[in-house]
Amino acid sequence: MTDPTPVLSVRGLSVRFLMPGGRRVAAVTDAYFDVAAGECLALIGESGCGKSVLASALLGLLPANAQGAGEARLGDLDLLAADERTMARTVRGRLIGLIPQSPAAHLTPVRTVRSQLEEAVKALTDIRGRAALRSAAEAAADRAAFPVGHLDRHPHELSGGLAQRAATALALVGDAPLLLADEPTTGLDRDLVDHTVDELRRHVDTGRCALLMITHDLAAAERIADRVAVMYAGQIVELTDATAFFGTSGPRHPYSRGLLQALPDRAFAPIPGMPPELGDLPEGCAFAPRCERATAACTALPQSADGIVCHHPHVPEDLRA
Amino acid sequence: MRISLALVGVTALAVLLVPPLVRLDQQAVDLGAKLLSPSWSHPFGTDDLGRDLLLRCVYGLRVSLLVGVAAALAATVIGTAVGATAGALGGWADRALMRVVDTVSSVPHLLLGIFIVAVFRPGVWPVVVSVALTHWLSTARIVRAEVLSLRSRPYIDAAVSGGASRWRVAVRHLLPGVLPQAALAAVLMVPHAMWHESALSFLGLGLPTHMASLGNLIQSARGSLLAGQWWPTLFPGLFIIVPTLAIAGLAGAWRERINPRRRSELML
Amino acid sequence: MLELHDITAGYGSGAPVVRNATLALAPGESVGLLGPSGCGKSTLARVAALLHRPDSGTVTLDGEPVRGWRYRASRSRRTAFGVVFQQPRLSADPRLRLTDLIAEPLRATGRRHEIAPRLTELAASVGLTPDLLNRRPHEVSDGQLQRACLARALVLRPRWLICDEMTAMLDASTTAALVAAVEDYRTATGAGLLAVGHDQVLLDRWCDRTVRWASLTAAGAGK
Repeated sequence: MTDPTPVLSVRGLSVRFLMPGGRRVAAVTDAYFDVAAGECLALIGESGCGKSVLASALLGLLPANAQGAGEARLGDLDLLAADERTMARTVRGRLIGLIPQSPAAHLTPVRTVRSQLEEAVKALTDIRGRAALRSAAEAAADRAAFPVGHLDRHPHELSGGLAQRAATALALVGDAPLLLADEPTTGLDRDLVDHTVDELRRHVDTGRCALLMITHDLAAAERIADRVAVMYAGQIVELTDATAFFGTSGPRHPYSRGLLQALPDRAFAPIPGMPPELGDLPEGCAFAPRCERATAACTALPQSADGIVCHHPHVPEDLRA
Repeated sequence: MRISLALVGVTALAVLLVPPLVRLDQQAVDLGAKLLSPSWSHPFGTDDLGRDLLLRCVYGLRVSLLVGVAAALAATVIGTAVGATAGALGGWADRALMRVVDTVSSVPHLLLGIFIVAVFRPGVWPVVVSVALTHWLSTARIVRAEVLSLRSRPYIDAAVSGGASRWRVAVRHLLPGVLPQAALAAVLMVPHAMWHESALSFLGLGLPTHMASLGNLIQSARGSLLAGQWWPTLFPGLFIIVPTLAIAGLAGAWRERINPRRRSELML
Repeated sequence: MLELHDITAGYGSGAPVVRNATLALAPGESVGLLGPSGCGKSTLARVAALLHRPDSGTVTLDGEPVRGWRYRASRSRRTAFGVVFQQPRLSADPRLRLTDLIAEPLRATGRRHEIAPRLTELAASVGLTPDLLNRRPHEVSDGQLQRACLARALVLRPRWLICDEMTAMLDASTTAALVAAVEDYRTATGAGLLAVGHDQVLLDRWCDRTVRWASLTAAGAGK
């Protein structure tokens, strides 16, 4: 995107886990990307590829045995350098709104949606006074298309779709410039997936926030994203425009192509083999052992060029041939 | 946590090593030295028969711990068997067994314990039996609840579909799943059983009076307490309170570790 | 032939989650059962796999009515079905290594001698490498664990496969790999399949025919 001042700017972000016995696990390696207001970047990849670790790093929620490196700028703040106090007081909720994977688990089961929303309003804004809190909570519910008539229900009385909206309403309370959605559609029915991502898209289209959506659901990503970052074995191997990625020219990295070809409405053909262990990555390109285009050159680590980390990316000529 | 560990360690060393290493007779009566207050030669003082209280306390702790551990183990075995059977069988067997549990727990357990010891002659085993028979109820409830929750897991369905018999599912899949909970319950029960033993002995219904259990020591010290001699009560009292709290503390820390399961699992 | 006729099933005293559902599968046929989450399709799948006794209705297997479910079903009947569930984490005994997980049905049915050859064969067909087989569930990914759960479902060579949202948690490539493994098995053995799910694109691509949950219960109610 051409926006000169991205909301989130990630530069060379890496995360290493130190395991017992001195083993090091490279969960995220050298990630670069920007997300601007009014834009949605979908971070896609298989489970275990490191995308959730990346999200945790942005939220300052890495476990004690993890080491982060690089930079993740949100405004003037470097999320990787900030201390826990800053993260808790000014970042989570206020600068980054989190839309969780399982809303049912994210909501407190014993309290109504209204009381949880009012508490969030009280914690994240300067609004005070019972009537003001009440109307602010109702406004927040309305923004997430959560029906005001259901506000006095407990989470277990809500359908999956309404629970997701309640969680979204909570994430929107702080009016954060960055929304981070972590697998927001897992386990939802297709209709509900479409509905959820359409609503997220609506919030992005207000131009007030940027959305980073982490997902393994390619159909959801296609529906919502402006740009796509494909992660494989801890590395962003392709960062490109969503229209090109899902359109006729298709992705350029062999892994991204394989992922799309695995969809049931395409070739429905799996990529051979399985992803490598993050603690035991092969020399050179991590995808080479599964790649049909691999050559001797792939034993060396490929450099990022034009958003692709590959020695033999597909080029448009290939498609004509 | 560290303090608990250190205290339990010291306790274990004391009860294991002192009797064989220190060749003093805990029963040695010295009427000339009766009811001496704490001093260098008798750090805890002496009792009304002139016996060294430090030595008596260590021996008492040994007896109380033995009774506590044996009773806790027995109660856990009974509780696990009943709870696992009720949970695994379900239906009328479950209802019948749980009715028994409810009935037994409706009687105050000290009362029930007194009734059981009263049936036997005084000794170590009646006390163990009494404490075990009154303490298996909570374990049975915990184990049953755990079995019920495991029983509805898809992996049990998968085992049934794979041709496993009822017995095989119980022994191979359900029981191993509840053992950590049962083991924890057993450790938590040791201090409780020790207190119970002391209570029975204090009431004069527990161990024979010549045995230096902590309850007996406190019981025989009652008279001197009224006469202003505090040490025969205080030290055995501390010997009950401190190790039992330490064991409970360790068990609590252990529970923290096994209950929020794998909460620190690497988020990959 | 697997016939479910006018099945009503539920849990305990609450309202039944399945009402008057009717479904028939021809031998070797693959049927996709499409429905929203929470509609009761998983319960119907468990009834079909002889894991849950229905409140009313009949299940007929190859012309013979089923009289017992779970432990009351004969071992040969129970093992005629291989089941795979949605969440591999909950479907795997956390204490068993993947080898033992896959071999467990062979041990339970006293066929230990088949373990070694069967494991080699199945690990290859579901795409598990030997180093993974020695691990416990918490040491492998969801996708790898689900591969093991599929291998376990196939280990007794069932005549019917019941896949309940088998791929709902998985990424596109693992989904395609598992479906391919199921289809390879069915091509080799002629086994029938009931695939329960909420993804119409997937079920349409995978199965001979896809039925909607609503039509299934309406047909039952109409009779």
